[in-house]
Amino acid sequence: MTGRYLGVDLGSTTAKAVVTDAGGVILAASTVQMGAVSQRGMQRAVDAALAEAGVTADDLDGTVATGYGRRLVPGVARTYTEITCHARGTAAMCPGVRLVIDIGGQDSKAITVDESGLVEDFAMNDRCASGTGRFYEVLARALECDLGELADLARQGGRDLEVSSMCATFAETEIVSLLAQGLPAADIAASVHRAIAARTLALVAQVGKRTPVVLTGGVARNRAAVHFLAEALGTEVRVPARPQITGAYGAALLAMESAGRPPAGRAPGQGDADTSVPLFPGPAGADRSCTNCDGTVAALSMPVVVIRDR
Amino acid sequence: MDATQDRSNRLSVTRSGGQLITDYWDNLFRAREQGKQIVWYNGGALNPIFQAAGLAWCHGEAFAARLAAQRLEGPAQLAGAEYGYNAELCSYARTHLGCSVLTLQSTEGEHSGVVGINDSQELAARLPSPDFFVNNYAGCSTGQQWDGISFRVFGKQLPIFNISHPFLWGNKPDAGYLRGEEWESASRYVAGQLRELISFLEAQTGRPFDYDALIEAMTYIKRAAELRREGLDLCQAKPAPATFWDWIACVAPINFLPGDQALVDYFAGVRDEISDRLAAGVSGVRDEKYRLYFDGIMNWNKLGFLSRKFAEHGAAVLCGRYIHNAFWQEPQLIDTADPILGMAQHYLLCPTNHGAKTLDYLTLRDCREYGVDGIVFHSTRTCRAFTGPQRLLAKSAQDKLGIPSIFFEGDVADASFYKEEILESRLAAMLEAIDVRRARGGQLAGALSS
Repeated sequence: MTGRYLGVDLGSTTAKAVVTDAGGVILAASTVQMGAVSQRGMQRAVDAALAEAGVTADDLDGTVATGYGRRLVPGVARTYTEITCHARGTAAMCPGVRLVIDIGGQDSKAITVDESGLVEDFAMNDRCASGTGRFYEVLARALECDLGELADLARQGGRDLEVSSMCATFAETEIVSLLAQGLPAADIAASVHRAIAARTLALVAQVGKRTPVVLTGGVARNRAAVHFLAEALGTEVRVPARPQITGAYGAALLAMESAGRPPAGRAPGQGDADTSVPLFPGPAGADRSCTNCDGTVAALSMPVVVIRDR
Repeated sequence: MDATQDRSNRLSVTRSGGQLITDYWDNLFRAREQGKQIVWYNGGALNPIFQAAGLAWCHGEAFAARLAAQRLEGPAQLAGAEYGYNAELCSYARTHLGCSVLTLQSTEGEHSGVVGINDSQELAARLPSPDFFVNNYAGCSTGQQWDGISFRVFGKQLPIFNISHPFLWGNKPDAGYLRGEEWESASRYVAGQLRELISFLEAQTGRPFDYDALIEAMTYIKRAAELRREGLDLCQAKPAPATFWDWIACVAPINFLPGDQALVDYFAGVRDEISDRLAAGVSGVRDEKYRLYFDGIMNWNKLGFLSRKFAEHGAAVLCGRYIHNAFWQEPQLIDTADPILGMAQHYLLCPTNHGAKTLDYLTLRDCREYGVDGIVFHSTRTCRAFTGPQRLLAKSAQDKLGIPSIFFEGDVADASFYKEEILESRLAAMLEAIDVRRARGGQLAGALSS
């Protein structure tokens, strides 16, 4: 027993891996950009995290995978969905969070969590890449800038132009049309950011607005996206220092908690429906629940960066 | 989870229902040769009236569903698109209107565009042309216009009879499910139109309507409906002996097969197999872990697939609006000596014809009775009548019963709107959330008892 746990988030465009110790402290984390769900990309992410933590795969006491490609990850104890893992990881990084907005490469989700960090409700984008990282990539390509420059450009924009399409492909057509009218790139960038924030707001409406709000996923690194989302929500939006790894971190925590707990006894009346291992510590035995957290995890892993509106 | 292992355990008796359906359609395809007049209709089950009038009947939605279930909807939808109906139109209607086009082409010998002679040999092109139309659609504006569009496709040359159904808002002080002045007056209004329909049929057939034949047909249908309800109620057991998917396989028989002894025998067989399973401790899903409610019309392209998919997760889908709130679901309303009023009432009870208050009552009632853990909303892309109130129902179930829900998009007869990973991710996430609640509840229970 080395007390090392691995969480892997094999997403649509990036693979993330996190190694924790037995206290849930992050020892290593890696993020690998890839073309699509890729086992090779996943392996690179895992190898990098293990090397940084100074352990091998044989040293691990548990591995949990999440993300679109979670079933492709070998040697896992079990898999969980991104919903559960993002909620778990974010609640540990940002104690007290009630609304997690995760915007990844291909999907976006709003997750409400209770005071213990348990998922209460969630909503995901419907049928296309609307309001996701892909949407920003389309915008950057059209405006001939990289994603870093895009955020700066958007913060300079003043006018609110109409960008109504829900579809990333059709939105590109709209952007081309705006450029053809000679409108400033900064205004276009700002307007598209506003439109995406409005789409995200519609997602939040499905689960109900709660505060504090934490934004995770690759898009959270875009300061303009955070700014316009905060503006749309009318509240501050918090961002962990490494917002892309919350899902992998949650997976590692679930690996740790699963390994550390004996199978639960069956509750009266629940029969076969019981899980063999509780996903989260319950309030009655809350030795490590988020509401009862001693702050170690947050203090040693990820400081919370608060980006205030305006 | 081992995705290759099929943990569903469907009723075997429904195979005999499949044969009844095949025989029915084959018989309809030959109706013209048999010298029968043919009526095309949509909406509530008017077939007992047509049966008594000596007609052959074609329920447009049912044929579209059959094509989709066999994945043979393509030629009809192409024909519909070629004629001018785009993919945002109800895919039932789009498919059936495409069938109209193919039927016309096969009778008039003209083929053009993307749908040619080879496609017109398909099942979609085998419907016999109608002698007249009847529309009996409640609660859906597309459905109400559907036969009127078919009437136009056929050149406005054939008679049509439209039945109007008041929407049951359910918001007057005395209003409620099956009660109140709104319900009573709407029932009388539709019953009056059914009597006018009978006069219309007498004019079309040139012979007096056979009320004794209607009574006989409705006596069989009432008995079949009672057996169906008995079977549905037996599925409240834990674990459930049969699932929503078994009842989906029973939709066609109760919806449009003739009222006769064969229909009663079929549903007696369904009820008996369920009873036998209960006695033997056999469940509809191996190792049932979760009990779910399904709201939405069936995704007919995906019946077997969805049955296996939910079962893989140990999820028994037990009840749903489409099954429990449709298809002669209140047989006690039928007075076999004078069935017209009870028939009218069932046409009004279409699951898209209720206000949110009644839908809320019905959904929560079934969730309670079946011990449901979660709700799966099939957000049927081209059926806005069904999807309109779904968010309200989800919120109500969460607020009043603490039951979580998920949405996935699909369609009744167009598989292109369905995305596997979306359903998989959302379903797995909801089941994980249910696990969390149970784990927490179990710990709380343990703490309270210690």
